[in-house]
Amino acid sequence: MRRRPGIGGLQTAAAARDQYRLLGENVAKLRTDLMKEQLATFRSQLEEFARKHKNDIRKNPAFRSQFHEMCAKVGVDPLASNKGFWAELLGIGDFYYELGVQIVEICLSTRPLNGGLIDLQELCKLLRQKRKHDREAVSEDDCLRAISKLKTLGSGFEVISAGKKKLVRSVPTELKKDHNEILELAQAQGYVTVDEVERRLSWTHGRAIDALDTLLDEGLAMIDDGHSDGKRRYWFPCVSSISSFGADS
Amino acid sequence: MQKLGDFKLPHFFNYPPYFTLQPVRETREKQVQLWKDLILDYCRTQKIFIIGLEEEFPLFSNPVIERTLSHEAREAFFSALVSEGRAEWLDKGHRKCLILWHRIQDWAGIILNFVKDNGFEDSVMTVEEIRSGIESRGTELHGIDRTILMRALKILEQKGKLAIFKGTSADDEGVKFSV
Repeated sequence: MRRRPGIGGLQTAAAARDQYRLLGENVAKLRTDLMKEQLATFRSQLEEFARKHKNDIRKNPAFRSQFHEMCAKVGVDPLASNKGFWAELLGIGDFYYELGVQIVEICLSTRPLNGGLIDLQELCKLLRQKRKHDREAVSEDDCLRAISKLKTLGSGFEVISAGKKKLVRSVPTELKKDHNEILELAQAQGYVTVDEVERRLSWTHGRAIDALDTLLDEGLAMIDDGHSDGKRRYWFPCVSSISSFGADS
Repeated sequence: MQKLGDFKLPHFFNYPPYFTLQPVRETREKQVQLWKDLILDYCRTQKIFIIGLEEEFPLFSNPVIERTLSHEAREAFFSALVSEGRAEWLDKGHRKCLILWHRIQDWAGIILNFVKDNGFEDSVMTVEEIRSGIESRGTELHGIDRTILMRALKILEQKGKLAIFKGTSADDEGVKFSV
């Protein structure tokens, strides 16, 4: 039957459109509901997992780091706030908050000795000494996490890489590429000489002196004129394991 | 950790640059502070009262890392002690230094406590007895430098806590307590 245009036809078409829209809305709602349900299930399972392995998460640094990775993958940040389910359940917000405070303390107390640059391993060692009464072990991963939380304070805490080492910077000095290269070079023996810098990095004398003088002024280097060969050595407490010696007394 | 006899040396003693006086002010201040503490600590535990800056002294060099304090560094550390009243130059050339890990007035206090603890409030003692007698054995006064002891006694004399009287020779100077 041929349909003619008319008021009836228009109304039928409008009704059909409405129904399609309704149907479409229903489908979409169903999908979101399903999604919500899945997320809820996931969340509750993650919660259950966390509850079940609460002690492992607290005590075992490797486990803790894997748990963090898992959380990150599904977009949950257990450290985002100190309130809320995660912090209440695990107390890990407090844990990292405490670590952060202790890291700041260590960085400040060793700053006169190392110029505000400390080896991450050394920092961890001092942190463990400081926390020897706590049962929970602390890993480098935990330190890094705590430091990343400190960044939000805008206080210039940052982790930089120099060669194989990770260094934690607690002063707002920007290290230039030249300085970084010297720090990298110094890791072998704990010190460099002007000659070495010129030779190994193929720099001019002026460039080497300039970079070393800056590092000296920043308190990151110390000179040593006591060697029998008469050559001045520039030592870098931040790459020697003794960057913290005065601080342990 | 490295030791000198029964004295535990701090870590920095094994870090070569601490034997060179640092050119940057802040680094140097920290360096001087560490050395001052070390010198006072060492002298207190080893009962050393006089240090000759140009003489051998266990803290002046570390054979393990083959470093020796330069004269400039020695003078800087001891001048810092002098300026804080923890040491005094014994000569104009700054070659000999009297170490006061207790200030003179603190030594005077120690003497007073010693007198009270032993019931010597009205007694007479020779200076030598205070330094090396049985009574002072085991106290901080045992083996005290004579110059320091005399100066502490003079402070107490001025306060009327005692009277110093001369014997026939320097050895038998006596003290009459009246605490």
